[in-house]
Amino acid sequence: MAVRTTFGSTPGSAWINEHRKWVLAAPALVFVGALVVIPIIYTVVLSLTDARGSILSEFSFIGLENYAAVLSDTARFWPAAWRTFAYTTVALSLQMSLGLAIALLLRRPFRGQGIVRVIILLPVVATPVAVGMMWQLILEPNIGVANHLLESIGLPRGSFLGSQSTALVTLAIIDAWQWTPMVTLILLAGLSTLPEEPDEAARVDGATAWQRFRFVTFPLLRPTFFAALALRAVDALKSFDVLYAIKGPGGGSYHEAETLNIYAYSLNFSHNNYGIAATVLTLFVALTLALVTLLIFRRKEVRP
Amino acid sequence: MSSVPHARPARRQPARARAYTVFRFCAIGVVVVTILGPLLWMILAALKDNVDIFNSSRIFSFAPTLKNFVTVFAEESFLDFIVNSLLVGAVSTVISLAVALPASYSISRFVMRRSKTFVLVARIMPAVSLLVPWYFLFSRMGIVGSYTVLVITHMFVSVPLMIYILVGFFDGLPLELEESGQVDGLTPIGAFLRISVPLSMPGVATACILAFIFSWNNFLFALVLASNSTRTLPLSLYNFVRYASVDWGGLMAASVVITTPIIVIALFLQRYIVAGLAAGATKG
Amino acid sequence: MKRQTRFRNVAVAVSVAVLTAGVVGCSSGGGGSNRTLQVYMGNHGFTEQVQANIEAFEESTGIDVEISVYGEEQLSDQYTVQLNAGSDDIDVMMFRPLQEARLYWENGWLEDLEPHASTATDWDLSDFQPGPIDALTFDGALTSIPVSTERAVLYYRADLLAEQGIAVPTTFEELADAAAAIEAAHDDVVGYVARGNAHGAVPIFSAFLYSHGGDWVDAEGNAALDTPEAIAAYETYGGLLRDYGPSSGLADIQWDSAMALFTQGKAAFYIDADSLATNAIDPSSSTIVDSVAFAPLPAGPAGSRTFNIPNYALGISAYSSAKDEAWAFIEYFTSKESTKQFQLNAIPGARVSVWLDDEALAGFPPTLAAAIAESLDGVGRDRPAVARASEAREIVGRPLLTVLEAGDTAAAAQEANRAFQQLLDEVQD
Repeated sequence: MAVRTTFGSTPGSAWINEHRKWVLAAPALVFVGALVVIPIIYTVVLSLTDARGSILSEFSFIGLENYAAVLSDTARFWPAAWRTFAYTTVALSLQMSLGLAIALLLRRPFRGQGIVRVIILLPVVATPVAVGMMWQLILEPNIGVANHLLESIGLPRGSFLGSQSTALVTLAIIDAWQWTPMVTLILLAGLSTLPEEPDEAARVDGATAWQRFRFVTFPLLRPTFFAALALRAVDALKSFDVLYAIKGPGGGSYHEAETLNIYAYSLNFSHNNYGIAATVLTLFVALTLALVTLLIFRRKEVRP
Repeated sequence: MSSVPHARPARRQPARARAYTVFRFCAIGVVVVTILGPLLWMILAALKDNVDIFNSSRIFSFAPTLKNFVTVFAEESFLDFIVNSLLVGAVSTVISLAVALPASYSISRFVMRRSKTFVLVARIMPAVSLLVPWYFLFSRMGIVGSYTVLVITHMFVSVPLMIYILVGFFDGLPLELEESGQVDGLTPIGAFLRISVPLSMPGVATACILAFIFSWNNFLFALVLASNSTRTLPLSLYNFVRYASVDWGGLMAASVVITTPIIVIALFLQRYIVAGLAAGATKG
Repeated sequence: MKRQTRFRNVAVAVSVAVLTAGVVGCSSGGGGSNRTLQVYMGNHGFTEQVQANIEAFEESTGIDVEISVYGEEQLSDQYTVQLNAGSDDIDVMMFRPLQEARLYWENGWLEDLEPHASTATDWDLSDFQPGPIDALTFDGALTSIPVSTERAVLYYRADLLAEQGIAVPTTFEELADAAAAIEAAHDDVVGYVARGNAHGAVPIFSAFLYSHGGDWVDAEGNAALDTPEAIAAYETYGGLLRDYGPSSGLADIQWDSAMALFTQGKAAFYIDADSLATNAIDPSSSTIVDSVAFAPLPAGPAGSRTFNIPNYALGISAYSSAKDEAWAFIEYFTSKESTKQFQLNAIPGARVSVWLDDEALAGFPPTLAAAIAESLDGVGRDRPAVARASEAREIVGRPLLTVLEAGDTAAAAQEANRAFQQLLDEVQD
């Protein structure tokens, strides 16, 4: 890649330049590696043991017994897996569609657009724990503001976070409230780099706005869209702060908000069952990796 | 997108455009209200007595009080928390940048796909699976409760994030500039330092701002690994959840205090955030 | 170019400053030169009292103390993580004895306080209420000292009762009738409110269980959730809430929601722990300060039997390297003098002598003091006494949800009994 072949004055600098690929990347890779590899190994090892109570107390290896127990656990594990899937799907669908819609809305310049951009940044930068508590207070069925407002315009009261059937969806909506602006910003940035000619050409040819969007804009936007989707998918799967702040470690009375992440946390810290917790986490990470790989391959497929 | 049906070509543009403009402003208005509404309510709640907070009919008509803010600063020694959050945020961001910037350059220029994937995998790991082994390791090293351990763990989140943003950014930076620099007599590393790095400032700004924000908002690591003297702000919210009462007013005031600095940052530096996301998203 | 150079210089300067600060911070945050006593406490009135009096302790003993205060759940998390790694960063630990004492003891995290306690003659171990002390003694070892107690009492609106000419209910049937009467007379007031979420309701439910003559286990230690007494208790607890409580969201009512409803004047009766009474009598959070009053728990078929439990206790970490100083701290703040002083600030202590002292009841509103005085003879636990307390709590609370939905209580109780028995069997080994 270099045009020159003779480098700087000192031999050290020559070596550095020669091997700059790894010299530059090494610190980051070593750092990340050390902090990830060891916990992964530790977690997988733990998942093969019956460790519980105190880590310092003795435990024995029981092979894949934990995995058998967890994968056949229809009381807690599979519902948690289902909830993780449901929560992520609802949150992502909302975020991506609304995010795209709002990005298209804000695309062309308008008066006050600077202020609007700052405003939509606010939920993204707000502290998740604080956001969770704020929404908890607003959505409280008996004394919260939300039901008061609904009543005053004639709509029925809702139980939002209070009912087993609506809690998870409400939480997904809160997640969407907080992160849709991020999707919007990413897509806006993507939209701004799109060339204008294809769109102009289509307009001249008489295409409607919807046709222009579907056949010109969106295909060009696809890489960005999937980048944002992958980003948000990983974060949504790992959602913790808001769920913990609102429903606590157990995910509520009926475990209605218990996703795999929350379940693993409660196994670790409430029940001190490290073996099973490690098993759940290993499965969870494997699932996430599979999903992300799928998304990445999908994106590579459609790249022009 | 437009809900107006086709009209005859001659009159299409003006009527349609006007309808769309009106629709657009309404839609934007709805978005703004949905976002600002809850936040404004939070600010109002911070100025109310607990009695008034639960009384929904008194959203706007109440006697404002600064009592909650007094509680936050005087009784809960919030200044210590703020200093801790600032310190950990700033130090972890700076060191993360020093580590992530060269790595991003390398990954981009040498198309190091496996390294990039490796770093992304780090983003996927849920924090819970890391906490117990980390605590084990760090306590053996004797650094639990210190700023060091918080900085290290926050860096663990920041470095992959920065790499994600900066790799996209470098991908969009044309090679010619560096190559012409080398023609002028710079070594490859020299070209990196003198040409690529200065040009990457917008991306750097974004990466730093986002990393700082996520460090500021980080809850779980501080929960488990911080000591009393190094606790960061999000943790402090639980100070208001007492055994026998929940001080909602104080909690809302604390939330306002926690989010205000970040909002100020967003106000002044939003340009960088938006510009940086462009580079990261379109190529990343 | 110029702007970028300036930016870079600023960035470098900031980085240097920040890194320096970081290095300095590290060394000071890592631990002081003098051994300070590390005390971990929860967000509780007792903690506030200790903090108010800590200087007196430091002066009289010469021991430096650093108190770290956490929320309930977060405190447990801290212990789990730190004690798992055998850290010596914790000396005195304040924890919820009924939730955690047995678990911590079996993990080997607690120091046996018996040697210290039995030799502290002035301090007088025998002055403590037997119930709480029994709850904290395992295999002859005293794991912790109770610092604050609570019982279930009836909160009620004296004004609403007077309006209907109803006397204060003394049995659950009377309570149901009174709640119905008041609810019929007022559109915006429900007759009754209590904790509805299974996990949180279990402690309060225990008082109902005992008042119906039931218990978590029978004499042989087998699960007893499907006995007629237990089923009746589930029905009473859930039935009151279902029939006279708010119209929706019952299964998610935590104590703070229930309390908020009551203090906003929207409920006539409320059964919960007396330790939460401050919320109802504090003008800044309650609209009914002048009309709230307290009564002992209504009676069931087996009388009015509430729990009288230590909600928090102080223990010494087995990994501590300052155990004598830690004991000095505990001895000081659980002494007769301290307990009396704290009680004047409405912290109900665990000492008998202090309760019998009329002066010491002055810190409570009159009806509350009377209600407490009649409830001292309570059962020493409000939940199943097993190591896996969290799990057990979830299991025994589930039938309550069935009652709230007007389902088959007996079937739910039998199912819970099965699960509970299984847990008991597992814990045996």
